[in-house]
Amino acid sequence: MSRVSVDAERCTGHGRCYTLAPDVFDADEVGHSIVRVDEVSGELEEHARLGEQNCPEQAITLSGGTRG
Amino acid sequence: MTETEGYVDQSVVGLEEPQPMYKALRESAPVFRAPRGAVVLTRLADIEMALKRTDVFSSNMDAVDLGNVRPLIPLQVDPPEHAKYRRVLDPLFTPREMAAREPAVTALVNEMIDGFADRGECDFHAEFAVPLPCTVFLQLLGLPLEDLAKFITWKDGVVRPEGVRAPGEHAKAAAPAAHHIYEYFEWAIDDHIANPREDVLSALIEADVEGQPLSRDELLDISFLFLIAGLDTVTDSLDCFFVYLARHPDQRRLLVEHPDILPSAVEEMLRWETPVPGVARVAVQDVEVGGCPISKGERISPLLGAANTDPAEFDHPDIVDFARNPNRHRAFGGGPHRCLGSHLARLELRVALREFHRRIPDYEIRPGVKLKYTTGLRSVEALPLTFPVATP
Repeated sequence: MSRVSVDAERCTGHGRCYTLAPDVFDADEVGHSIVRVDEVSGELEEHARLGEQNCPEQAITLSGGTRG
Repeated sequence: MTETEGYVDQSVVGLEEPQPMYKALRESAPVFRAPRGAVVLTRLADIEMALKRTDVFSSNMDAVDLGNVRPLIPLQVDPPEHAKYRRVLDPLFTPREMAAREPAVTALVNEMIDGFADRGECDFHAEFAVPLPCTVFLQLLGLPLEDLAKFITWKDGVVRPEGVRAPGEHAKAAAPAAHHIYEYFEWAIDDHIANPREDVLSALIEADVEGQPLSRDELLDISFLFLIAGLDTVTDSLDCFFVYLARHPDQRRLLVEHPDILPSAVEEMLRWETPVPGVARVAVQDVEVGGCPISKGERISPLLGAANTDPAEFDHPDIVDFARNPNRHRAFGGGPHRCLGSHLARLELRVALREFHRRIPDYEIRPGVKLKYTTGLRSVEALPLTFPVATP
């Protein structure tokens, strides 16, 4: 189980996370990322990690989880 | 090896394969004062810092001069004022807004392919890569499609004006085209005020910016930037991608056989080709980057293409892998000035690749042709392709 968060100060709307993992991330009205599900495990956690690793601004954090 | 070896100024010479130059610079002189002035950054960490630290490296009018008389909005406005424009502009260019345009873009792409599919050959640059983004732009802003030729002339007149031998001459050479652009949009704004419709220009005229409408000058400065930022860059991307695919038939076959890989392939080709190889900033205070002192007022050139091939971020950066993950490329820049039109560009590129390869899966560059890359932004002057004609 991991906790997903998006740093709104860092996000500039590349849209990579909600394009790659629409089940975890969503867009607000300006296209910046918002978290749809903040506690993730299993497949959702994998998807969340996809978003985290592909964010050019490193605005996404997954915390408290174990890799794998 | 001296520090200048390996460096080729892309504002002077167009490069077919800039990646080895990026590598040489990154390894021998990652912060490099080019003979002609700008300080060139090639390490991803430095580039990222320069893009984020708008308090140190400004994107204002001193960073690049394109013949415009006021700052282009939002590119040449820095935070915090910058944010008020992005709040109005960003909602018009979100992935969701762009998705609504997919059917129209698909129809347009097919119309353009219809123009040469039976001929067995085309100049991909002139018949596809140039008119596609220009026509999409006219549709988006609600401008008459018969103005296409004028737009292409003006865009070229600002982006790559004739007779420029040194960067200092660019602004003067671009000024006449810039004048036409301002004049045209004066008319277009009047026309949209008189006849409001469902398009981006009407949306901007009606926009509310902290309780105020955008002024006439602000509308002009946004429109001017749209024209020079949104047209050439997609042309460059299409040219770069199709040259790559023409020369790598195995990679092309992947797209033909597995179109679901397209979104990821677009990101990887953006990374590898980086059609907009660098951006421009100006130091607004004395600063040191990687041991190199940079004085207030000096221009810097963060090379996005070098960031995108930096092994500090990318495993095997020289391998083009359409399934690359993660792929945190910076082809659209980053920080507050992240390319506003990135989602429109992605849509145009994805649809173009999908439809073209559906209809023309096999093609090659006409044998014997030597491609000539343009300076600055990476397009080719002509891209003659030949292909078998499909029998219906």
